[in-house]
Amino acid sequence: MARALSTAILWLIPLLWVTAAAAQTPRTAPGYIGNTVCRDCHADVWEPFYKNPHYKSVASGNDAPQRTGCEGCHGGAQAHVAAGGGADTIPRAFSLMTPKQVVETCLGCHANDFSRANIRRSEHTLNDVACTSCHSIHHAATPKYLLAKKQSELCYGCHTGVRAQFEMPSKHRVNEGFMQCTDCHNPHGAFAATWRMSDRPRMVEQALGNEEPCLKCHADKRGPFVYEHPPVRVEGCETCHFPHGSTNTRLLRRPVVFTLCLQCHNGGGGFGTRNNGETRLSRTHNLLNPKYQNCTTCHVRVHGSNSDAFFLR
Amino acid sequence: MRKLLFLILTMAGMLTAQQPVVPTPDQPGTPGGEDVGNYNVTNSFETGYRFAEIGGDLGKYRSDVNYRNGIRLFDSSFSINSKDGHGHWFDEILLNTIGLGNDPYQSATLRVEKNQLYRYDMLWRLDEFYNPGVAISGGLHLMDTRRRLQDHDLTLFPQSKIKFRAGYSRNNQTGPALSSVQEFDAAGNQYPVFMNVRREWNEYRVGADVELAGFKFTVLRRWDFFKDDSVDNGVGPANLIPAAPGATLQQFTRFEPYHGSNPGWLGDLVSTHKHWALNARMTYTGGRRDFALDESAFGLNLGAAASRQILVSGNADRPVTAGDFSISLFPTERLTFVNNTSVHNSRTVGDSTYTEFDNLTGLGTSLNFRYLGVRTVANASDVNYRLTDWFGIYAGYHYSDRLITTIEDFASPPDSGLAGATYLRNNHMNTGTLGVRFRPVKPLTINLEGEIGRDNLPLTPISESNYHSVNGRIAYRTRTLQLSAQYRQVYNVNAPLNLSEYSSHSRNYTANASWSPRGWFSLDASYMKLHVDTTSALVFFAAFQLQQTPAIYLSNIHAANLGAHFGLAKRVDLYVGYSITKDTGDGRIAAIQPGIIDPVQGLLNSVETFPLSFQSPLARLSVRLNTKFRWNAGYQFYNYHEDFGLLGNLQNYRANTGYTSVSWSF
Repeated sequence: MARALSTAILWLIPLLWVTAAAAQTPRTAPGYIGNTVCRDCHADVWEPFYKNPHYKSVASGNDAPQRTGCEGCHGGAQAHVAAGGGADTIPRAFSLMTPKQVVETCLGCHANDFSRANIRRSEHTLNDVACTSCHSIHHAATPKYLLAKKQSELCYGCHTGVRAQFEMPSKHRVNEGFMQCTDCHNPHGAFAATWRMSDRPRMVEQALGNEEPCLKCHADKRGPFVYEHPPVRVEGCETCHFPHGSTNTRLLRRPVVFTLCLQCHNGGGGFGTRNNGETRLSRTHNLLNPKYQNCTTCHVRVHGSNSDAFFLR
Repeated sequence: MRKLLFLILTMAGMLTAQQPVVPTPDQPGTPGGEDVGNYNVTNSFETGYRFAEIGGDLGKYRSDVNYRNGIRLFDSSFSINSKDGHGHWFDEILLNTIGLGNDPYQSATLRVEKNQLYRYDMLWRLDEFYNPGVAISGGLHLMDTRRRLQDHDLTLFPQSKIKFRAGYSRNNQTGPALSSVQEFDAAGNQYPVFMNVRREWNEYRVGADVELAGFKFTVLRRWDFFKDDSVDNGVGPANLIPAAPGATLQQFTRFEPYHGSNPGWLGDLVSTHKHWALNARMTYTGGRRDFALDESAFGLNLGAAASRQILVSGNADRPVTAGDFSISLFPTERLTFVNNTSVHNSRTVGDSTYTEFDNLTGLGTSLNFRYLGVRTVANASDVNYRLTDWFGIYAGYHYSDRLITTIEDFASPPDSGLAGATYLRNNHMNTGTLGVRFRPVKPLTINLEGEIGRDNLPLTPISESNYHSVNGRIAYRTRTLQLSAQYRQVYNVNAPLNLSEYSSHSRNYTANASWSPRGWFSLDASYMKLHVDTTSALVFFAAFQLQQTPAIYLSNIHAANLGAHFGLAKRVDLYVGYSITKDTGDGRIAAIQPGIIDPVQGLLNSVETFPLSFQSPLARLSVRLNTKFRWNAGYQFYNYHEDFGLLGNLQNYRANTGYTSVSWSF
């Protein structure tokens, strides 16, 4: 009984907190006059705004004007109203702001989410790609996330090379609508990769807690396996595959499998986990025999095996 | 305003990437919706018939494109929004679908939300994957499977300082496939075996977010379960690549259940203030798999009855821990400094007991033990400084240290004691980045970036070792005209010894132009050239003679895309487009260059380059019948052409595809 009571109290505390927070009376900061004035002139913006995710805070009525509605993003409107309009009288007119100012303004509300934990060191931020480069608050083209265009179109706008890869014969189905760029990437910046040397790629999101995102769909390649293929585990899938698209089947980096395998398995240079070179072919593998030119015909479990150190089964 | 919104949406639709021809982006009218009580409802559907007529290699077409005939719900969109944000059960419902009805790529997304109370998101997807397997195994690894993915996420009190989260994800892959097996020994023939693929992964998540005293703490507990119950079961398979004439595999079965779970935790602490921010994250994922393999093969070898039976059982575990600590300082409005430290530790431990019987004679049992540990510690510092409103500079330094520990043990018989060997491999990498940004006038941006990296002991001959990259980008963007061009070069040398010679050099040029001078006309064009050349050292045997020779691979890909949209008489939209990917190779006209008679050189010469082309012109006509209906029709042609073929396999195909549909929206 006592345990049930303590459990109930533990659940009630946050609910009471939520209720108390909702009951607080918002305070208006100087220079702020509230959304109702904005509606008079900007009815075209206001009319469909109830469909906008930012409308939630307006509907709740719990936040002060400086934290919600028009002034929550654009700043106090008192001077703007007094001047009878004009972009230069808006404290935060996004079309006039620097990318850093845009980012900081949005982070005023959206910072406390770990999916944006790396936004300040992301490639996008470093290259002045700010929130409004991809998001359109008042003219969004997508039903979710207020994107200015369909997601892949947004990304292709700058990443022309990636767009070309997704139109190659072998590709992940992004153009076809099965996948999106954000299935693998975090455009707001990602945590350090847990594969390769943790240096790159910098915008690829981890999946399944802390693993390469490929493994969320390709769950059979995840392991653990008794006999791991070390490059798969250590260096990642892109050791052998182009993740976006390729002219080669199965997104491979080479059209012919043996050239892909043998460029590592040449026994030289002190490479490999044993420090004596990656295992090279034995004498029985006569490469002139077609049987040995398709390595994966026998080494069927190149992503890892539980039965055979040479991935034969 | 609605006119402006319609114009913007229309222009966004016009600048879509080329493929595929359907769904039709053009809408019958402004999706204003209808008011029902306190809600606004919008709805749109595009439904019609898709056709495909394929000539040539059907398997390759299905691998690359895979669209077929039939009636489809190409696209649908449905939304309900409460007009005051105080709906009774919900404030918003969004439902969007693509390809339902039997397209090979289908998806559906659903969001249901009640402000301040809950938010539910669902994503369901289906992918039909077909691979003829010709290029990688002479057709022995054909695969025709369906993968279904679904994600469900429920958030309670989404606008509160305390949120609760629950989620479920599922991924299953089913369908027929072929695998291959070599019997009855390592010199035996290769046989295709039928594989009934049955894989399933389920994940359950619960978590909470708490905001307190300027900090936000996120905790997530997750459990996922994987099972692979695929069965290999082939009777009387063909012997496609005979190495031992007279040998026949008459019966083969393999059961290989592989089950396990990955429970995990994630904790994250984030805080943002006026001049600093920090983020600390820690994740742990356990991993355990139990497996058993029971394989039986019966047939004839050298005219005599032959059999091989293999039994394997064991376990594999992999706990993975990863942590990040990041601190950001912005002492002035122009300066940002970020330092990030990350730690990753993964330990894969497994044992496998292997027993083999050959012609019912026991060859013994062995116990194998493997350990693969990877520990990486990395630190990265990035400085971003805006000198003026039009000029900024950023620089970064990254250091990482990785230790790979391997233990390999073997005992036969299993109780004879293990005397394993332990190998350590420790390497570190230093990289530096420097970039500048210019914005001399508002529409014009110029970015230049260089990166250099050094790894003292790369794991593989193709890992980044001694590399640099140069990246330059210029973009000009106005409301009607967008131009951009980019150059990127990556050069990696990884050749401590002549024997392991490896260098890779890629140069990537891209250019893009979008022009929308009028609402009724827009043009979109892009071009990419990707030049890759690598040199590596191949070591192998040819007719028992050791060969050590450098091998070259050269790929020279040109990809172009052109699309034009015309709006005619305010009712008709016409889109024409063309895309091409062409690898010109090194310019040779035959797979093996003239004058090469040595078979080894001939083999290597034939795989140095692989010219091909993949083209797809399309046209789409869409006629607005009234404010609610549109009639659409489109045609798309695919042409895949390999110049040489892979090891004797040519997979060329041509496909005429198209559709006709009706769009209805209100």
